[in-house]
Amino acid sequence: MASKTTILIIDDDDDFRAAVRALLESRGFAVFEAANGQEGLARLAQCRPDLILLDVMMECPSEGYGVNQAIKWRDEYRDFRHIPIVMVSSIQESPDQLFPMAAELDMIRPDFYVTKPLDIPAFLATLEKALESAHHHRSQPG
Amino acid sequence: MSTTPAQTIPPPSIVVIDDDPAMRLSCRKVLDKSGYRVETFEDGAGGLEGVERLKPDLIIVDLKMPGISGLEVITRVLETDPAAVIVVITGYATIDTAVEAMKAGAYDFLPKPFSPDELRIIVQRGLERRRLMIEARRQELERELLRRRFVTFVSHQLQTPLAAVHQYLNVLRRLEDDSEGAARRREWYERCLQRVEEMLALIRNWLTLSAIEGQCLAQQRIPVDLNPIIASVFEECRPLADPDGIRLEARPAPEGCLCLGDPVCLRVLLENLVSNAIKYNRPGGRVEVAVRPVNGELELTVSDSGLGIPKQFQPFLFDEFFRVRQPGAAGKPGAGLGLAIVKRIVAELGGRIEVSSEPGQGSTFRVRLPAVSPAGSASGSPPARPHDKQLPSP
Repeated sequence: MASKTTILIIDDDDDFRAAVRALLESRGFAVFEAANGQEGLARLAQCRPDLILLDVMMECPSEGYGVNQAIKWRDEYRDFRHIPIVMVSSIQESPDQLFPMAAELDMIRPDFYVTKPLDIPAFLATLEKALESAHHHRSQPG
Repeated sequence: MSTTPAQTIPPPSIVVIDDDPAMRLSCRKVLDKSGYRVETFEDGAGGLEGVERLKPDLIIVDLKMPGISGLEVITRVLETDPAAVIVVITGYATIDTAVEAMKAGAYDFLPKPFSPDELRIIVQRGLERRRLMIEARRQELERELLRRRFVTFVSHQLQTPLAAVHQYLNVLRRLEDDSEGAARRREWYERCLQRVEEMLALIRNWLTLSAIEGQCLAQQRIPVDLNPIIASVFEECRPLADPDGIRLEARPAPEGCLCLGDPVCLRVLLENLVSNAIKYNRPGGRVEVAVRPVNGELELTVSDSGLGIPKQFQPFLFDEFFRVRQPGAAGKPGAGLGLAIVKRIVAELGGRIEVSSEPGQGSTFRVRLPAVSPAGSASGSPPARPHDKQLPSP
């Protein structure tokens, strides 16, 4: 019996988390929540998510990018590097616009990017695509 | 003032471009002695390359050279660095060529022959100019960055609650209509209402702030008795204070102590300070508002027995959208505009505000406002002026 696909929501807005949690649970996902970047990173080991939904602007304006970079590049999180990250923000600005001069833009460019409020069908399609890509990625050797 | 370079800062660097070896040598001698770093080049091409590589603080260029002319050097240098400061040496001291060079963007000109002192003075002036231009550009960039960040931040503040409400409604539409769904629906409607109310408050505050800035508010300067305003603000804030058993206490001004200001603004000021004092208090705590004459001014203090504000946050307290992050303050509604409004009002009324705070003990906001009559004596103020005006409704 396959266990449920697990999603970790890292977002500082309680209401947004509640709504998305209900939506995801109604679709059969298991959901964990974290209210800021630090808490999110701390919960990784415990909930071992299949996908991370990550808000950009939390306590700090680009906190989400920091979390994304930590997971993808810092050694202590290497076990979680493969987890697809879907960044969520109400600001319609891509990282290229936000950080026009960042030479290391590729280090912080998210795997997937959606805007708030979530367009539900499009959001679910993105989740599916992200989960599929991770599955594909992991079944490759190396 | 001294242009002597400090130890940690490298001395200003100067590039001299001149085809005359004697001129290069004498410029180097004079400027070396003054402590500058000097590099010389014998033609335009070498000079341009040198400028590109060294990024000097000042460029001295001869106008008449074989190959790339001085004029062309000026144009090309300014294309890459509009803040470059270029001094022109002109051998044939006709005013025409110098004027042409100035038109092309040179900063000043030095006709040959010139004395070492003349060179030193013009170099000093040029370096000062360079410093000012760099400073101006830095400030411009900083302003632009701030403006961009601010717009991003405001739109985020406005979009976040809307996004949450939208998300709730959108998910609700898709959830099963069973009993669990019904319970959730009721709970979420309440949350939506609350978020919308928070957003309305944010917009109201934002408009107040803009109104003060646009000088549509705080226009009146009339004698105002703060005592009835305090009583009325207490009345209004009681529903906020009562559930937590917070006591509201007033130590009113002596009879006839009036401040000179705008009654609507003064009310907004008090509302913000008092509601903050309640919001960041502890259960069973107290809020005290006192007014007293001090040195011909009126001092209004609002003290609470609440969380207090850690020292490191105090300098930012009056910034727009700043909110103190500490346990106990998290989850309190608000956008961080209240104290920005307070500060603007105080400034507009010609007063000043300061805060003293001890974490865990509470905070005191102390506002000084212009008083109506110079208080020669604390009690012997002239008979109270009629101040039974109704507050105009906002």
